[in-house]
Amino acid sequence: MSAVNANPDARSWRKAYGLALSLFAVEVVLLYLFTVRFL
Amino acid sequence: MNRLDYLVLVATILAIPLYGLWRTRGSASLGQYLKGDASIRWATIGLSVLATQAGPITFLSMPGQAYESGIGFIQNYFGQPLALIVVCAVFVPIYQRLKVYTAYQYLGERFDRKTQLLGAFLFLIQRGIAAGITIYAPAIILSALLGWRLNLTIWLAGGLVIIYTVIGGTKIVSITQRYQMIVILVGMAIAFAVAVYRLSPDLSFQNTLSVAGKMGKLEAVNFSVDPHKRYTFWSGLIGGFFLALSYFGADQSQVQRYIAGGSLKESRLGLLFNAVVKVPMQFFILLLGAIVFMFYQFEKPPAYFNQPAYQRAMESGYAPQLTQLQTQFDEVFTQKRAAIRVLSTAASSEREAAVNQVRKLDAEAHALRDQTKAVLVQAGVDPKSKESDYVFITFILQQMPHGIVGLLIAVILCATMSAMAATLNALGSTTAIDFYRPLIRPNASDHHYVVAAQALTAAWGLIAIGVASFASLVENLIEAGNILGSVFYGSILGLFLTAFFIRRVTGSAVFFAALFAQMLVFILFATTNIGYLWYNFIGCAAVLILAPILQHTLFRSAETSAGV
Repeated sequence: MSAVNANPDARSWRKAYGLALSLFAVEVVLLYLFTVRFL
Repeated sequence: MNRLDYLVLVATILAIPLYGLWRTRGSASLGQYLKGDASIRWATIGLSVLATQAGPITFLSMPGQAYESGIGFIQNYFGQPLALIVVCAVFVPIYQRLKVYTAYQYLGERFDRKTQLLGAFLFLIQRGIAAGITIYAPAIILSALLGWRLNLTIWLAGGLVIIYTVIGGTKIVSITQRYQMIVILVGMAIAFAVAVYRLSPDLSFQNTLSVAGKMGKLEAVNFSVDPHKRYTFWSGLIGGFFLALSYFGADQSQVQRYIAGGSLKESRLGLLFNAVVKVPMQFFILLLGAIVFMFYQFEKPPAYFNQPAYQRAMESGYAPQLTQLQTQFDEVFTQKRAAIRVLSTAASSEREAAVNQVRKLDAEAHALRDQTKAVLVQAGVDPKSKESDYVFITFILQQMPHGIVGLLIAVILCATMSAMAATLNALGSTTAIDFYRPLIRPNASDHHYVVAAQALTAAWGLIAIGVASFASLVENLIEAGNILGSVFYGSILGLFLTAFFIRRVTGSAVFFAALFAQMLVFILFATTNIGYLWYNFIGCAAVLILAPILQHTLFRSAETSAGV
């Protein structure tokens, strides 16, 4: 794979990691809100 | 269980391996046998990774864990999404580029043969014992409650797994795990729906959760920094991160799942799928345990869930003590049920007193169960697994409709088979590739190594069955698996992180650093009671700190610029 092609690929994987991380952060916030709601 | 249950159970258990055998018929090359082929897509990889990690313990023990101690165990998974992203970004490209069959081959290429063997050896020890626990744990509970013979249960479930794993290799493991995981998810969703439906009509679902929360069952996140507390946000995030990084990055039973298919994209997507779904899936399984707990606040639970052990104690002269405890337990149960009803309708000014009353009665019920257990120990019928492991299966057998009971027993056996198949597949491959091929028969044909891997997979299966046949658990099932992993994983992960990120360190330095780290963890495990997740961090940190120090002192002359 050439460097020109590799960069957009790496960028889209970084976006995918960012999306997975954001979803995880949302999950933790929801769990925290759940804890506070029923404490 | 009736005939319908047995029909559903047997059909589910047999259909999936038979379909897998049909899909993988014909001979396979060494590459196909150990890594599958290009037809394996991300969904199969994702479900396969999920199934390998889950195992029977997740579905048997975890609802019981929530019943006993609440849903705080969810925090143990907080490090996992982060770890999976690191595995996607760092580990997977290297394994795919080097086209390795096992993770430890990479250690051999980066360092030397002895470091490869050390990594593989630590894996074989840890997983060899864990494979025994994987099959023993559900077998002892199912045999106790259903009257099945323990050794027959172990041999039937284990024998079936050995047969199809030996014949089909990695591809059949991935295919069967995909359908086993679908059965598991559907079964658990049905169990969740039935449990909610069976809750007392006296309380709305929201009120039920509210009372469960007041009784300490719904604390999902705890920010305490006390290192002796087992489940906190920080231990889950940091300790859980290192446990997950080691498990997904350096444990061949997982590495073999996601390098199957051979495409970087499919591997990464399969792992990212796990990063997103794992925490919600575990949350619903734990919440199911909390719902079962609330169900038993209105429906009288047995004083002791391990009824076979209880009956043996009754028959061996301890009936008077147990009957007296049962009478006290029944009285406390009736008072607690009334107190919960008061709490659910209490005005805000009266709520604190009502909460205190419910908590007091719950503590009394707990104390009576502890006393019951003490009588069982005195009677010499001390059960081999924790009582909470019997909670969910008792609920299934007593409260679920026929057909669903069979399906849920199939869920537990599917989880056992899928986790065991992945483990045997990895143990056989590692022994064949990291030990047999370089040390015993270096220049044989591909076909020879396929046969060797098959024979070694079968041998590990028999060892696992042997461990299961003579095992005696000392802890809750979840804990047994996680503690065992945490003791070994730190130093294995340290080997890999040193290989990736500390370029100047050579084989001898990292080898002795890992040996020292493993000794350190053994000593800490034997002499302290810190939360076990921290062993992952300690073992890994010890290797990362010690390896460069050894390199710059004892092994300076061997220094090279080796690196990734």
